[in-house]
Amino acid sequence: MKPYSTFIKYSTALLTLAVIVIACNKDLEEPQRVGYTPVAVDEKAGTWKTYVLASSDEIEVAAPLAVTSSEYTAELSALKGLASNLSQEQKEAVVYWGAGAAYRWNEIARELCARYNIPPASNAEGKYPLPDAANPLADPKFPFANPPYASRALAYLSVAQYDALVSAWHYKYKYKRSAPSKVDTSIPVALPVSALPAYPSEDAVVAAASVTILKAMFPGEVPYLDAKMKEHLASRQWAGMNVTSDLTAGTSLGNAVAAKVMGKARNDGMGASNNQTLVAAMIESAKTRGIKDPWISQEAPLRPPMLPNFGAVQTWNFDKATMVKIRPAIPYVVGSAEWQKDMDELKQIQNKQTREQARIANYWADGAGSYTPPGHWHRAAANAAHEARFSEVRMARTLALVGTAEMDAGIACWDAKYFYYTPRPQQFGLKTSVGLPNFPSYTSGHSTFSAAAATVLGYLFPEQAAKFDAQALEASVSRIYGLIHYRVDCEMGLKHGEVIGEYAIARGKADGSGL
Amino acid sequence: MKNLYILVLSALILGYTTAYAQMPNDAIYMPKGVVCVGTMYTHSSWKEYWENTLKRENLNIGTHTTQSVMVMPAIGITNRFNVILSLPYVWTKTSAGNLMGQKGFQDLGGWLKVKAVDWKGFSLNGLVGISLPVSKYVPDFLPMSIGLQCRTASGRVLANYTHPKTGIYVTAHGTYMWRSNISVDRDAYQADDKVYNTNEVRVPNAYDMGARVGILKKQWQTEIWAERNSCVNGDNIRRNDMPFPTNNMQATMVGWYGKFQPKALGVNARIGYVTNGLNMGQSTSYTVGVLYMFGVKK
Repeated sequence: MKPYSTFIKYSTALLTLAVIVIACNKDLEEPQRVGYTPVAVDEKAGTWKTYVLASSDEIEVAAPLAVTSSEYTAELSALKGLASNLSQEQKEAVVYWGAGAAYRWNEIARELCARYNIPPASNAEGKYPLPDAANPLADPKFPFANPPYASRALAYLSVAQYDALVSAWHYKYKYKRSAPSKVDTSIPVALPVSALPAYPSEDAVVAAASVTILKAMFPGEVPYLDAKMKEHLASRQWAGMNVTSDLTAGTSLGNAVAAKVMGKARNDGMGASNNQTLVAAMIESAKTRGIKDPWISQEAPLRPPMLPNFGAVQTWNFDKATMVKIRPAIPYVVGSAEWQKDMDELKQIQNKQTREQARIANYWADGAGSYTPPGHWHRAAANAAHEARFSEVRMARTLALVGTAEMDAGIACWDAKYFYYTPRPQQFGLKTSVGLPNFPSYTSGHSTFSAAAATVLGYLFPEQAAKFDAQALEASVSRIYGLIHYRVDCEMGLKHGEVIGEYAIARGKADGSGL
Repeated sequence: MKNLYILVLSALILGYTTAYAQMPNDAIYMPKGVVCVGTMYTHSSWKEYWENTLKRENLNIGTHTTQSVMVMPAIGITNRFNVILSLPYVWTKTSAGNLMGQKGFQDLGGWLKVKAVDWKGFSLNGLVGISLPVSKYVPDFLPMSIGLQCRTASGRVLANYTHPKTGIYVTAHGTYMWRSNISVDRDAYQADDKVYNTNEVRVPNAYDMGARVGILKKQWQTEIWAERNSCVNGDNIRRNDMPFPTNNMQATMVGWYGKFQPKALGVNARIGYVTNGLNMGQSTSYTVGVLYMFGVKK
């Protein structure tokens, strides 16, 4: 037996070693974002042009109590208590929300998009039941947060945050009530304090505006959103940053602005975006334009095309006549020499897809269960603005410019898709390594979204323009590598997206920010 | 959309579903200086799978098939200490839909197997295994991926009683497998209802338990077996979504195994059927193999 107990000893030692070296560490390294003092407080932002509000003082905010009043003194002393002796959980909440209000709410919205981005399953009758806003948690859950839906949800979120912050900045500099810790230096603060006046609280404005929009967009998440907002507001007191009246005024303003923005959203045509009765006429029209093999769903049972009338939804930065004017030209028709060339390229990739092509296809796939391409670009925008240490209002401007460009890209791209109604390569026998979206091929949504976002980001962060353009190009070509788009879909989508982005830039240049 | 897992388990865990002789799940040892090389073809397919607990089919997959060819040498270092290696080449396909099949060499596995106690037909055996991916296959294009890209380390205890005269035996084993985090091509993904902003994915550890009853003769062997393979935690496939490496995959399997090896050359075969599961396909699998035994000069 002796030799075997030696073996056991060695085996145990080996196993321990193997576990330690090979498999033990389960921690994930996610980039951590923390608060900063902004490069500029943008004190003139109260004059910037709003999207939905007629002006930054359209919503009334009452004058705050004087810092010398007894009520304010009582608020200060309450704040001092709240900001002392923080638990570990409270400290973590302070750090989390301290990274930025618009930054965090954009991140939360992307997470909701990912959670709800799953196409409904077919039922026993071979039909796809429609998600029901009145019963959002039933199967299928409402909404199906596909790319057009996500582009719209994130656009309204960003616009509401921006308009609410422009309004907040107006009142901040109208009333000029200092941060609590500047009035009473004995208040402990856990985050950087800038020269920005504290009333109304920019965090409360963003939280309230965001929650109002997100509750409408994701009605099954009301308790989750309420809990997040409660923690966000509380974290401002744990951090010693806002007295209660700062938060209350901010919440009212955020709610009121977002209600106006949702008023616009309810009338933007989204309600008719899934009008399937229009499809037959769309196919006939496409045929008259020379499309001999219109798109057919490749799913079993046949799934109705995704949001065929999303192209009719109201755009942000250009009108409908312009949308028609900038619509991409008709693509190569099936059977033409040019079409055959694109098809041959795909066949070659199908036979010999390289690992690098697969990597690019996977990296940009942003398919079911993800926050979609608009989410991908919102993330890029939020991170760039965070790294540039933008003020809250400039962060919101960044996201609104990118967000409106993304929604415009979605609308204009969907318009082109259903105008031409062209077939996917899978209609001719190709497979895919990323999953096949259920709508016509031309133009590529990824290409349009990516070029629009990269164009706007290149204007906002000129020193990174080349990087964003390269990323957009890679996102575009990823759809060829994944075998679900012809090259012409991608190249024309990129050009279209760039033009769409330029309209957002024109808006940004004229918004009075001087940025 | 997830059968892949049968395969993953069979090759990642090395022999979970592959109950060959001189395997990590029996009490058979190659004598000192003897090597037995098994070359096995496995065909595993499913039409229905468990999406979380919901058992369903998927018309856009039809029947999902995983095939593999695995080379598996068992080496007798001493009469009571064997080394078992394995390397599978795997390929996947579906009968419907348009998901592209994947193929490639998967993970190189190795087990050290020691007979610690040997007393009147009863034996207690200790095994230590590791596996390492040998190619850069995509791990999160499920259910088409050929593996999960985990590095694994396993510890197994295996008890056996063989009646010396009749060759009738009973075997039971239990295993714990540590699995490393993996990297995926994307830099954000959803798991546990949360978006992780990283390309690093936590894959749950796993365990298994198995029981077998059979007859082992000099030239042949026949056995029936049951196994339970399970992750220790993990999330579930969301409604109508694709599977993901973080999923808590579980399966109960039953099957038969047989071997006929009159001399140096032999054959073996195995069939297996998943009776119950979570987040994976209800697969039926069969394996056929050729065994070749030879001595190595010392």
